[in-house]
Amino acid sequence: MSGTTNDELPRGTPLMTVHGRRRGHVENLLGAGGQGAVYAVAIEGTRFALKWYHDDIASIDRTLRARLSRAIGIGPPTDRFLWPIDLVEIAGSKSFGYVMPLRDGDYNGMRDLIARPPKRIDLPLSKRVMVCLRIAQNFLELHARGFCYQDINFGNIFFHTQSGDILICDNDNVDIDGMDAAVFGTRKFMAPEVVRRETLPSTKTDLFSMAVLFFYIIHSWHPLDGRRENEVQIMDSSAETSLYGRNPVFIFDPQDQSNGPVPGVHDAIVARWNSLTPAIRSLFTRSFTVGLRQPGERVLEPEWRTNFARMVDGCVSCQHCGYDQAPRQGVKGQTLMPTVCVACGRPMALPPVLLIGRDTITLGPGIGIAIHHIDPDRPVDFTTMAGIVEEHPTNKGVWGLRNMTRNAWKVTLSDGSAVTVDPGRAVRIMDETTVDFGRRVGRFVTGDTASVPRERPR
Amino acid sequence: MAIDLPNLGQTALVRRQLQVVLALDCSGSMTGDKIASLNYAMRAAIPEMRAAAADNPETDLMVRVLRFASGAQWHVPDPTLVDDLEWTDLAAGGETHMGEALCAIADILNPEYMPGRQLPPVIVLVSDGQPSDDFDMGMKRLLAAPYGQRALRVAVAIGGDADIEILERFIAHPDFKPLRANNAQDLVNRIKWATTVPVKSVSQSTNAPDPLTVLARDAERQKKTASDVIW
Ligand SMILES: [Zn+2]
Repeated sequence: MSGTTNDELPRGTPLMTVHGRRRGHVENLLGAGGQGAVYAVAIEGTRFALKWYHDDIASIDRTLRARLSRAIGIGPPTDRFLWPIDLVEIAGSKSFGYVMPLRDGDYNGMRDLIARPPKRIDLPLSKRVMVCLRIAQNFLELHARGFCYQDINFGNIFFHTQSGDILICDNDNVDIDGMDAAVFGTRKFMAPEVVRRETLPSTKTDLFSMAVLFFYIIHSWHPLDGRRENEVQIMDSSAETSLYGRNPVFIFDPQDQSNGPVPGVHDAIVARWNSLTPAIRSLFTRSFTVGLRQPGERVLEPEWRTNFARMVDGCVSCQHCGYDQAPRQGVKGQTLMPTVCVACGRPMALPPVLLIGRDTITLGPGIGIAIHHIDPDRPVDFTTMAGIVEEHPTNKGVWGLRNMTRNAWKVTLSDGSAVTVDPGRAVRIMDETTVDFGRRVGRFVTGDTASVPRERPR
Repeated sequence: MAIDLPNLGQTALVRRQLQVVLALDCSGSMTGDKIASLNYAMRAAIPEMRAAAADNPETDLMVRVLRFASGAQWHVPDPTLVDDLEWTDLAAGGETHMGEALCAIADILNPEYMPGRQLPPVIVLVSDGQPSDDFDMGMKRLLAAPYGQRALRVAVAIGGDADIEILERFIAHPDFKPLRANNAQDLVNRIKWATTVPVKSVSQSTNAPDPLTVLARDAERQKKTASDVIW
C-alpha cells in the first residue's frame, strides 16, 4: 500500500543507528508491505536499505525488537542473507526499524518464474536446479545455527538469472527455533499443521515451505494443486483450508490419485516432473506424502543439496524439441539408459557425459568439472574447477578434459592400456575411457554421438 | 514426417482469476471537483493495482467498472486484465441509483460471467450520497447471486453526506467499516487502498485468521492518519 499511509518518511529525514550511534538520512521509498516500508538510506556516505515499521507493529509483534537485536548480535549465516545490521530510531517517532544491505538490482523475484507470460522468466532447468541448490545451501546454514525463518515464500528470495545465485530478504521474522513465531506464514507456503492453526512456524515447517518453493521454482506450479484444486470454482478460505491444511494430497502422490494431474490441463507440470532425476522426484514425493502428515519426516537440506548438485551438471536438451531434462542413469550409474524425450517422445541423442558415482556431468565446450565431483570431501562449489572441456589446439574436432588439479590422473582406455595425465595436460574424451581422479573414478560415455560435445543448456 | 509437439508451454494452463468490480457513484452531487478527483484517483490507483497483481503471480487480476447515476451503466463492461486497463474519465450527473448498480453487479456474480477458477470476487462501492432508489432490493439480489455471499465487499464514503449506514450494510462485517474520504488526497489514498489491499490480502503473510480481519486492521490504521479537513 505504498503511498496510502501518511506515516511515510519524507526524503532527508535524519536517523540514528541504535548500537553504532551513526547518523544518516532517508533517501527514497523502495517498497511497502503489511508491516512497514523499505527505504534507501545513506549512513555516513554508504547506502543501505531501511525497513521502517508501522507505529502499531511493535505492539502487535512484541518480540520483534528483541528478535532483531539478537539477529544483529549473531550476524548473518552467509553473505546471501540481507541480514539486519543495526536498529534505527528517528527522533520524534514512536516506531523503529533496522538497516540491512541494499539488494543488488540484477536479481529477480521468484514471482517472475510464475508470472503470466510474457512477463514470465523462462529459466533453463539446470539454472532452476541451481537456484534450488543455493537455497538449500543457505537455509542449511541458517537452520544449523538454531534459527528458523518462519515465512519462506516467493516474495522474499531473489535469484540471478545468469549465475543462479540467490539473495534472501525479509529476515526480520527469523527467530530461535522453538520461540513463539511472529507470523503464521504466507498463503500456499504454510505447512498443513500451520494452516490448521495447530502449531506455529518452526524449523520443521520451514522445511515444508522450502520444499513448496523448490517445487514452484522447478514447475512454476504448486505441489498440492491437482484435480481437486482444478475443480474449486471459488477459492475461498474453506476451500484453501481443505486443499492445503485438512486434506492435502500431492499432485504426484503414487498411492492416492484423487488430486492427480488432469490430462489436457496439467500436461506441462507432468512433463516437467518426468524430466527430473528419480532422486529429486523421490525427495518431492517424501515431502508431500509422509512429510505432509509427519513433520519429523521432512527432507533436510543436505539431502536436497546433494541431489540438486547431482542434477545441475546433468541436464540435456532434446535435439528435436529443445525440452530440458535429466538423462536416466543405468544400473549403479555405470551407463546411461537410452532416453526418449519426456516432452515429444522421440529418441534423444545424448551428449557425451562423464559418469562419476551417481553424478552425471554432460560435457560441452568450455564446461568445467566442479571440484566436488572428484573429491567427496570438498563442499559443493561450482566456482572451483577440477577440469575443463577443451578442443585440441591443432586437431580441430578433437575434444579433451584438461586436468586443472595439482595431481596426476590415471586413465585407462577402452583397450585396457593405461596413461597418466599430469596437471595441465588433457585427456581425449572417448567412449569407455575411465579416469581415476584420486578420490573417485569417472567414466566417459559418448554413446553414438562420437566425441564431439554439444552446447549444454546454460 | 511431422510429429505433433504437445503444447507444454505454461500458457496452455488456464490461470485462476481475481475479479474486481468497481461501482462508482457519478450522481449530480459528484459534479465538479469530486468527479475530477475520482478520475484522478482511479488513474493513480491503476499502477498500484498492477503492482498488487504482480505480488500474486499465479492469479490474473480482472477489472470491470460500473458507473451509477440515473440508472447504472458498465463503463468497463468486459473483465479487463489490469495490465491492459486504460482509464477513460467518468462524467457526473443524475440521481444515485445504487440499488440498480447492485442489481447490475448481481447479474455478473455467477460462473457464466466469471468463468473458470476464481478467487472470491472483490466489489468496491464508492459513493458520496444516499441511494435514491431501492437499495434493499439491490442488496437482496446481490446476496442471492451465486457468488454474491462470497464476494469481498469494500466501500469508500466520499465527503460528509455519504450514507455511512447504507455502506455498512453493504459491507456487512462487524469490524470492517467504510473508508471515509474527506478531501482529494484522502480519496486518492482510499481508492488505492480499496483496489489493492483486498488483492494483497490473498497473497500476504498474515497473523490474522481471515482476510477481512487483515483488512479491518489495516483500515483502522488508515483512519488514524485520515485528514479532518472537510470537503
Ligand atoms: Zn523432445
